[in-house]
Amino acid sequence: MSKNYRILDLIRRSRTPLENHLIDGLIDGRVSRREFVRHGSLLGLSLPLLGRIGMAAGFGAAPSLARAAGAAGATIRVGSSVPAAAIDPVTIADAGGLLVMQQVAEFLCVDGTDLVLKPALAESWSPNTDGTVWTFKLRKGVKFHSGGEMKADDVAASIDRLADPANSSNALSVFTGILQKGNTKKVDDYTVEFHLDAPNGNFPYMVSSDNYNAVIIPASYKGDYEKSFDGTGPFKIEKYTPKVGASFVRNDDYWGDKALPDRTEFTFFTDIQPQILALQGGQIDIINQMPVLAGVAVLNDPNVDIISLKSSAHQQLHMHCDEGPTKDARVRRAIALCLDREKLAAGLMKGRAALGNDSPFAAVYPSTDTSVPQRKQDIAQAKQLMEAAGLAQGFKMTLTTERYLEIPEYAQLIQNWVKEIGIELELNILDQGAYYGDAVFGKSNWLDSAMGITDYGHRGVPNVYLAAPLKSDGTWNAAHFKNKDYDQLAASYIGALDLEAQKADAGKIQKLLLEETPVIFGYFYDYLTATAKGVAGVQPTAMSQLFLEKASKA
Amino acid sequence: MVFLGGQVLPGNVGRAILGPFADQRAVDALNHSLGVDRPLLVQYGSWIWNFLHGDMGTSYVFRAPVAPFVVDALGNSMKLALIAFVLVVPIGILGGVVAALNLNRPLDRIISLGGLSVTVLPEFVTGIILILIFGVWLRWLPIAAAWPKGAGFFTQIYYLILPSLPLFLVLFGYIARMARSGMIEALDSDYTRTAVLKGLPWRTVIWRHVLRNALLPTITVIATQTGYLIGGLVVIETLFRYQGIGSLIFTAARGKDFPMLEAGILTIGIVYAVATLVADFLYSVLNPRIRLGAEQ
Repeated sequence: MSKNYRILDLIRRSRTPLENHLIDGLIDGRVSRREFVRHGSLLGLSLPLLGRIGMAAGFGAAPSLARAAGAAGATIRVGSSVPAAAIDPVTIADAGGLLVMQQVAEFLCVDGTDLVLKPALAESWSPNTDGTVWTFKLRKGVKFHSGGEMKADDVAASIDRLADPANSSNALSVFTGILQKGNTKKVDDYTVEFHLDAPNGNFPYMVSSDNYNAVIIPASYKGDYEKSFDGTGPFKIEKYTPKVGASFVRNDDYWGDKALPDRTEFTFFTDIQPQILALQGGQIDIINQMPVLAGVAVLNDPNVDIISLKSSAHQQLHMHCDEGPTKDARVRRAIALCLDREKLAAGLMKGRAALGNDSPFAAVYPSTDTSVPQRKQDIAQAKQLMEAAGLAQGFKMTLTTERYLEIPEYAQLIQNWVKEIGIELELNILDQGAYYGDAVFGKSNWLDSAMGITDYGHRGVPNVYLAAPLKSDGTWNAAHFKNKDYDQLAASYIGALDLEAQKADAGKIQKLLLEETPVIFGYFYDYLTATAKGVAGVQPTAMSQLFLEKASKA
Repeated sequence: MVFLGGQVLPGNVGRAILGPFADQRAVDALNHSLGVDRPLLVQYGSWIWNFLHGDMGTSYVFRAPVAPFVVDALGNSMKLALIAFVLVVPIGILGGVVAALNLNRPLDRIISLGGLSVTVLPEFVTGIILILIFGVWLRWLPIAAAWPKGAGFFTQIYYLILPSLPLFLVLFGYIARMARSGMIEALDSDYTRTAVLKGLPWRTVIWRHVLRNALLPTITVIATQTGYLIGGLVVIETLFRYQGIGSLIFTAARGKDFPMLEAGILTIGIVYAVATLVADFLYSVLNPRIRLGAEQ
């Protein structure tokens, strides 16, 4: 299709230099259509506008986001894990709890199934020239379930509450070094500014559904969320019984399209097997989150549909860079070269995973530099590296990890592979609580073990993975990796506002981490949601959220 | 003991609630607001003081009073245990009696061997097989034990049949074997021979002389199984999504929710003591020799 420069020029007139740079990238072919949509949404360009630009640049109509509307009035029944603690936007930290909270409360923007940011309570957002101040324009006429209108005060209070170190906030680790208490400022009733500690090109993700604590609730909130379950969402609470379940009804005052289902019912399960049996037995319609190993039985069941989302969730295999045989980067590379990643993705993860290349840059991220060669199994090269390191005869060491998902099986595979280069791994597989311990250096098997495997959940942008587990002063730096060049590159990536600058930094980081290999990223696994046949319009996110306002049953 | 045992486990309450990836300052703030950063003795003292005043405390994790959780869970556990009892005790005893009366004949072999084989199968195996048969294929019985809100007595029983079946299978062989060996011993005894020789009808001999003596050890066994049936069903409760006291204690221990853990364990202790007391009482009803001085 030909490009329509007249329309493009018209659009470009009212855009910022940063936005125009992205549009140029699309026209010149430096940025793909998918990357354009995702990064454009991050900069605050609306989806219809992104579609218009795409059309004018000769890419044809954007795929319609609207789905065929199903029948209204259904009761949708969901199986999910038990909320592990009291439901409170400030402290919540588990999948079961954040799922319940997200049914009633909403975010400024939503990191959707395609990892593209979509407006929710904020209609638009934009950075200043260096990315230190982000301005969010709020939607007007949004009502809380308790009656009041959502305004800038509520947004400022909700985010401030999370950035306050005195508040037991689970989101404090997201905001540390990025946004301090008091720096979320109301401009007028419908405009909020976030004044950041340092430039940040991915900030909107920190106040999107990607930061699951960041729901907007009334400024007057004082704790005890289970008393009110107040929010602005398409559903209102009907009943919540801790450890048992929750039900919700349609919110007829909702600002957007009214929800299709009359009701939704959530049933809590402590284990995945009973959920699978309940789905097969017709007692629930949806399993929100199904680990691939446990779900093998239904992956090919003709009565079950699987919604598979590409995600950045992964298991990190760290190796101490400051002591023992893995102090030598050649040994760490040798270990990484033993892994047969294709086998991991196809066998262990049943094809529901993408290959990892020993950096947090998963294929799902638009900023990932895909020209960096993929590391493959190469035992001969691994043996050479061991010899060069003076360890041709091999050595013994312990791999400490947690009993969670497929991690024990993953550890066994690694144990077998490294035998070929003479490394004898003893596995020490612990209960999750024992593995994480107090989660501070000196009091945690996770942070103190010479070699360990740790589960990391999905993030819409790699910022968190780049900082806490890998920066010299990172609080989750289990590999004890200290590298000034890396720290600078990570800071530069995090501050970069435009996609090409991010890509350039990403490429450098990817190459540095391949050379140093403090952490092995073997694979990034898909997020699976199972639904009974005939259930449509279900929209999960890889953060364990589930949007049901368009759900229907045949 | 529970209190101290919990303290030596790694991790702390704030960390358990906020997860390994939370900021340490947030964890400290939460621990402070829950009061778990106070000295152990102070925490223990305040817990005991409140408990003696009828206050089981507030759950650290759910930030709500513990008592309703424990009462609900205990009620659920007792319902399930009761149904399992009602099924297994008569059928188990009957099985044992029939086996003993047909000693070494095929029927005895079937009951003894069959009972033993299902007893050694763990309940998560039999549970899954039963769910697959009755819940998924035949769809006769509901898979989750949690009945809908406001369900009546019979609906509740209907929901509890499937979860009680694996318990039945675990206990049947055990009870039948005890009843069988008790019967064999009693049938072999002098008083039975005397009763038969003095011309009593066979039915009367069995009812009044044999069964009464044969059941004594069986009752002890049943009483000791009460603790298991009330507090030890974590696997069944998980499988059938049933909120009993076993899983309540299990999750409380994992989440370091001490007020919940302590209240749960004390409750099970009390139930166990009461069950043993009832067994002793039944014992005395069946066996005149231990009605202490009652005849004098």
